[in-house]
Amino acid sequence: MARSERQLAMVMDLNKCIGCQTCTIACKRLWTRDEGMEYMWWNTVNTQPGRGTPRDWEEMGGGFRDGDARPGKLPTRRDFGDAWDFNYDEVFHGGKGDTVHLKVQGEEPDWGPNWDEDQGAGEYPNAYYFYLPRICNHCTHPACLEACPRKAIVKREDDGIVLVDEDRCRGYRFCMEACPYKKIYFNHAEKVAQKCIFCFPRIEQGVANACARQCPGRVRFVGYRDDESGPIHKLVDRWKVALPLHPEYGTEPNVFYVPPLAPPRFDENGDIDESQPRIPNEYLVSLFGPKVLDVLEALKAEMAKTRSGGRSEILDTLIAYKWKDMFGGFDRDPATIEWTRS
Amino acid sequence: MKARLAAATDLDRLLDPDDAAWSGARSERLKLEGTPAGMQPTAVIRTAWADKAIGAVGRVEVAALHNGRELAFRLAWEDASENGALGDTTSFPDGAAILLPTLPTAPAITMGAPGIPVNAWYWRADEPEGGRHLVAEGLGTSKTLEGGAVRGRGHWKSGRWQVVLARTLALQSAEAVVQLEAGGTIGFAVAIWEGGRGERAGIKAFSGPQWIELQLEGGR
Ligand code: SF4
Ligand code: SF4
Repeated sequence: MARSERQLAMVMDLNKCIGCQTCTIACKRLWTRDEGMEYMWWNTVNTQPGRGTPRDWEEMGGGFRDGDARPGKLPTRRDFGDAWDFNYDEVFHGGKGDTVHLKVQGEEPDWGPNWDEDQGAGEYPNAYYFYLPRICNHCTHPACLEACPRKAIVKREDDGIVLVDEDRCRGYRFCMEACPYKKIYFNHAEKVAQKCIFCFPRIEQGVANACARQCPGRVRFVGYRDDESGPIHKLVDRWKVALPLHPEYGTEPNVFYVPPLAPPRFDENGDIDESQPRIPNEYLVSLFGPKVLDVLEALKAEMAKTRSGGRSEILDTLIAYKWKDMFGGFDRDPATIEWTRS
Repeated sequence: MKARLAAATDLDRLLDPDDAAWSGARSERLKLEGTPAGMQPTAVIRTAWADKAIGAVGRVEVAALHNGRELAFRLAWEDASENGALGDTTSFPDGAAILLPTLPTAPAITMGAPGIPVNAWYWRADEPEGGRHLVAEGLGTSKTLEGGAVRGRGHWKSGRWQVVLARTLALQSAEAVVQLEAGGTIGFAVAIWEGGRGERAGIKAFSGPQWIELQLEGGR
């Protein structure tokens, strides 16, 4: 196992995510604009329940079962949603702005990132959905790293960030097969695997990840897992209100989620029905494991506490009154740094 | 096996698998076998390939020529599908390599071992006019040497690949590279990857653990 000395981690509060994709675009603008990266979205936000990105990734295998490597499937570019070409030239520069509208060129797409946006599940008036943002989990037991025959994936000793060494990578894509979260992309121009880098060049300068800093919902907490004064340690280890996605995949993710509560259901008379939750428990258990039910109870108890005039340190932390407190010390303003591209 | 001397044939002609010079070379047919799944370096590869056939290409025809300056191998094999482009994440290119030991004790099947390097002359269908010179000391350790010493050229026509891989006989390098000379004898091995079956890295058809002897005609 590739356990690192220290581990950076992220907590995402699913009760606050509004599905705006600001995180997705922040990441895209910063890291995946070069040739061969067109179809890459290192950060994705999908409506749940839904098929996800890449399409049906939860059925593609990978990771570990009872400690043994479990083979996985390679997602296709289409599964990821691919990159669509638009007639920008015609509309914006071809003098046809009044007569021609923007449209996808070539074959009509049948999938895209968050294609099933806001569909969710359930019937009116008890329909439900929530957003699930995902990045590479910078796992403690990274299936990608263990799959690579060339040791081209490294887990950094000082912070546990998992990176592809593009000089060693030969584009064999065993990592793509093995990652159960399907968070590795293949760059067909550079012929190497690429993935979320946890914004390590920013982290090294004391700046939080772009997805976290740009998030208008204050969804994302960043920091070292062992920093007892930071938000990660408190939410994950002390209060235990944040859980990894699909813990049964066996990779020990370092992205954790505060699970979503939902408004109560209505019965056939239109009265509030507290007898069962709007988001079925089984569904949340299928994503976050059985502990999710304890977390939801704990969150409800905290809410009841504040409703009756008490204080809740957990809720105060999750609300994130002080924006900078979300970043575990990585709160330097990136505008104060002169960045160069090497 | 013999690499005949074709002193008047320059490198450019050697690199053309259809050049008339090759009709003067004697082709040998080698049987290839799949590398065992159990030998693959990571658990996920071993598991994924445990029940899958490895080594889709069962036979290759090898010929060799040298002109006193460069040695060239011509590999030819049947392949119904041409897998060249890296169009999708799921497509892998066909490929071929010649393996040469720097010491006679180098194990062919593991691509050398620590302290006993082998060289590979490597060609891949997504770069049909390219070649790579690699040095390896065991599975997964190969690194590409700068300098472009290995030249490759290949084409696919009516169900058949023909690929030439060539290098200068003598080569100056700080790395462990094989030195060749007219009149000398070397060992070599062959590997072929069928991209259409997902073969890549250690998943390949291989000429086996024994080095095949090649005598370079001529000499002092
Ligand atoms: S999420 Fe996938 S790519 Fe990221 S570290 Fe884990 S196994 Fe590797
Ligand atoms: S920026 Fe924040 S609120 Fe918007 S989709 Fe991303 S995580 Fe959700």
